[in-house]
Amino acid sequence: MTPFAKAALATLATRGVQAIIVALIVGIVSFAMMQALPGDAAYRIAAGRYGYDMMDAASAEAVRIELGLDQPALVQMWTWLKALAQFDLGTSAVYGTSVAEEIGAQLGYSLLLAAGAVITSLLIALPVGIVTGLRPGGVLDRMTLAVSIFLRAIPAFALGIVLVLVFAVQLKLFPVAGFKGASNLVLPSLTLGLGLAAVSNRVVRDAVAEAMSADWRLFARTKGLSARLTLTRHVLRNASVPVVAYIGVQLAYLIEGVVIVESVFAWPGIGHALVHAIFGRDIAMVQGTALVLGLTYVALNLCIDLACRGIDPRGRAA
Amino acid sequence: MSNQTDMMIEAIAPTTSRRLPVSRLVGFALLALLAVAAIGGPDLIGKDPAKQSLLDTLQGPSAEHPLGTDNLGRDMTARLLSGAQLSLSLAFLSVITAGLPGTLLGVVAAWFGGWTDRLLGAFADAVLALPGLLLVLMLAAISPGSWWALYAGISLTLWVDYFRYTRQRARIVLAEPSVEASRLLGLGPWLLIRRHLIPEIGPGLLTIAAFGAATAVTAVAALGFVSVGVRPPTAEWGVMMTELLPYWREAPFLILQPVGCLVLTVLALHLSVGGLRRS
Amino acid sequence: MTYSIEVEALSVFAGTTLLMGPVSFSVAPGGTLVIMGETGAGKSLIAQAILGTLPGALRSEGRITVNGRRVDTLAATQRAAMWGHELATLPQEPWRALDPLMRAFRQVAESHRFVAGTSRAEARRETVDAFAALGLTGAEDRLPGALSGGMAQRVAFAAATAAKAPILMADEPTKGLDAARHAKVVDLLARVPASGGTLLAITHEVAVTRRLGGHVIVLREGQLVEQGPADQVLTAPADPYTRSLLHADPQFWDKAQSHPAGDIVLTAKAVDVVRGGKRLISGFDLELRQGERVALTGPSGIGKTTLLDALAGLLPPVAGSVLRARSLSAHAVQKLYQDPPAAFPTRIPLDRSLRDVARLHGSDWQVVLRTLENLGVHPSLLSRRPDEVSGGELQRISIARALSVRPKVLLADEPTSRLDPITQKETLKMLERVGAQENIAMVLVTHDRHIAEKWADRVIQLA
Repeated sequence: MTPFAKAALATLATRGVQAIIVALIVGIVSFAMMQALPGDAAYRIAAGRYGYDMMDAASAEAVRIELGLDQPALVQMWTWLKALAQFDLGTSAVYGTSVAEEIGAQLGYSLLLAAGAVITSLLIALPVGIVTGLRPGGVLDRMTLAVSIFLRAIPAFALGIVLVLVFAVQLKLFPVAGFKGASNLVLPSLTLGLGLAAVSNRVVRDAVAEAMSADWRLFARTKGLSARLTLTRHVLRNASVPVVAYIGVQLAYLIEGVVIVESVFAWPGIGHALVHAIFGRDIAMVQGTALVLGLTYVALNLCIDLACRGIDPRGRAA
Repeated sequence: MSNQTDMMIEAIAPTTSRRLPVSRLVGFALLALLAVAAIGGPDLIGKDPAKQSLLDTLQGPSAEHPLGTDNLGRDMTARLLSGAQLSLSLAFLSVITAGLPGTLLGVVAAWFGGWTDRLLGAFADAVLALPGLLLVLMLAAISPGSWWALYAGISLTLWVDYFRYTRQRARIVLAEPSVEASRLLGLGPWLLIRRHLIPEIGPGLLTIAAFGAATAVTAVAALGFVSVGVRPPTAEWGVMMTELLPYWREAPFLILQPVGCLVLTVLALHLSVGGLRRS
Repeated sequence: MTYSIEVEALSVFAGTTLLMGPVSFSVAPGGTLVIMGETGAGKSLIAQAILGTLPGALRSEGRITVNGRRVDTLAATQRAAMWGHELATLPQEPWRALDPLMRAFRQVAESHRFVAGTSRAEARRETVDAFAALGLTGAEDRLPGALSGGMAQRVAFAAATAAKAPILMADEPTKGLDAARHAKVVDLLARVPASGGTLLAITHEVAVTRRLGGHVIVLREGQLVEQGPADQVLTAPADPYTRSLLHADPQFWDKAQSHPAGDIVLTAKAVDVVRGGKRLISGFDLELRQGERVALTGPSGIGKTTLLDALAGLLPPVAGSVLRARSLSAHAVQKLYQDPPAAFPTRIPLDRSLRDVARLHGSDWQVVLRTLENLGVHPSLLSRRPDEVSGGELQRISIARALSVRPKVLLADEPTSRLDPITQKETLKMLERVGAQENIAMVLVTHDRHIAEKWADRVIQLA
């Protein structure tokens, strides 16, 4: 087996363990959430299943026995987690539909938003970071530093509110909320993308500046390579290592941002659904959406890991 | 090739001043101001943040209400001060509850290594398996609207930063020849920590604390804004944004007040440790 | 005649401060110029001025002519166009001069392809030839991180000279290489003038100068001390500084006096040393007596440092035993380190570190100060942090620190290999003196055979 394949397998194993931990945490917390709900859980679930009109003490009793609600909490948790392990996400208490089905409809929107945000951030951060990194300490460098610090201080949802007020309400350039077409994508992507770019443009800048001042950069020049060839053949690749690794760091911000920003813009995605479900105490939905968000996080991290190993051949074991 | 030149440039350059840069001073000044607001709270102006007056809703600034009133006629200044009290006290407490054990466990893991290190590392990895805010969101949801759930969730998420930083730095520092030399010279654990570890990791921990406090303040407001954190009628910046958003047209200056307070707080914290410079 | 390099009244300034110069010299094709001097003498500044790579804060004055063309007045891009074609450069630390992410073969091939301008196939062939000629076969697919220092130097050489520039400038080409590899690099350089090219070498080592010959320039703190043909400068130096520089070459040291050895303080019996799962040394025996000086030598990677750690009791030997005399206190075995700044806590002032130790061992602070003075360290230095004093001073402070616990055994791991030659000589002399005064047994680890022979009573060759 090649060292690369070995390293890739090790990464896969690490992320696999992480995925299991995600499922465990989400399952246990959801269970705790259910236990903490006031009132009789059996009644609530029965009401969720059959509607308040159709439900009575008998159906509640049936639910109680079926789900083992009369058993000790630990046994109940075991049953709960077993169902989760079998990918049985249950039924939404609010919509009465299968959670898996709901999430299937929402996930695409969230991924669209995330992709929009990442592309926006790269479109901003790469050119700005490269230009400032080639001239560290210049006017542009200091200006972008100030702007970055300021933007970084604005939480995603606050930035969302400001952008809505300016672009959607005052200037009427873009729709405020919901999803009816591509134009709806602009403001949420910009909100998240700006937040991501506020830091990543500095990371790109630092990476480029570091590569430009490296001894090997000077040697590439003095051995006779032109400035352009040195940049394309050596500097950019070396600079991309920390940048790609940093995208991995930003994934947490991205997922968190998706949850909150979707709520600001009433975006029909999975993050909005999660917040809605928490508010409505729809525990099956909370568990399902949180699980899918967590697993998406793990999967994206895995992609970044593999990309890093692809760019940097100095593969070290995970 | 550049080593030598660097040395010579350094030798002739004016000695670098150890004075703080202006941006950090601005950060400290803002923090001091916010601290006064948070400690004093609404008592500073002697007004009740909960007192409604349905005849005086959505008013502009006046002598009676310097920052106007909200949709229920409550005094904005009192509400913003009350929000500062809630956010900053929670941030301060969570920095302590996350920072102390996080740092101590980091030192313990680096010092003993082996199974202690692996066990603590695994625990930290488990907390990091989910994006921080998602974890806070879920933990807070166990007991909706509770200040304690929010505080516990934020602290539990933030301790990992201190732990990982301390563990990684301490591991490097403890492996340095200077520590070996000090051990040979008879320095005990306490002196090793004081002379080698604390000077080395202290500044970094301060940065983590400032950024962690900013994260805590942001999380409280974000959760309040999406109605899964602190609940109305509590005066909390995020909750206030939700309440005032529908009235942006009549009173745009009102919604911008809690937004401004939040941004100012985060900015002050970031600036006080040197902004975005990588540490 | 046309000189390859002609320099007239070259000076380098930072603002208005003169850092180096003025110097004048010329080298003809087939000639060699060696610039000698210690750290901070400004040697590299000359190479950077000729090449046009002085850092932005510095500027040069004076005329520089390369192959009959005046270059100091040219625009930066025009000077850069000469790189690789007319001027080749061998970097100081080759493993840092190679792109860490690109395999060795490609780094040489791209020079042939893009600098020499050959076709892809031609570049391939030339690179294969170069790897064979330099004994690099098998290293083609390695990344710089996986190359030894000597190999990295040869890869850099192949990459720098692909376009057959007639002039080669080499800045400290032997830095960080152990003695065995010195010769190879120097031979490689000597080939340049032999085949009609021009060599400009920068070094602090007398031995390198001696082997390269040609014209020699000696610099000290930016000032030209003397210059002339190598034979003359090396055999009959006119300047006292040059003389002390030459005498600092361990080959010419006086043999140190031995002292009567006392009781046994440390015994090693059949010690095995393992690092990274590999048995490096086995069955090592040593009886160390009071006041005696022992040197351990051998090539790098042989396990000298690990053996020293076993003697210090820092790591239990996998086999055999290390026994201390009963009379020895817990802290009677002390160590000196290769990199002085790494041996002190970085962020606190030196007197803090020294006072801690003195207090712990009940040593009088005045006595510590006297020891420092005895070693030629001014007490005012103690208010500084370790990175604010020179390596030589710091090593002497670390000797004083070790002495303040009244040790019986001092283990020194290449304590002078990072110091300049004159400082190295002084430091080891000092160590010899305190050993005799305090009746301390010393073990010196060194890769330099000459140092071992001149300094120690007893040399143990590890192989």
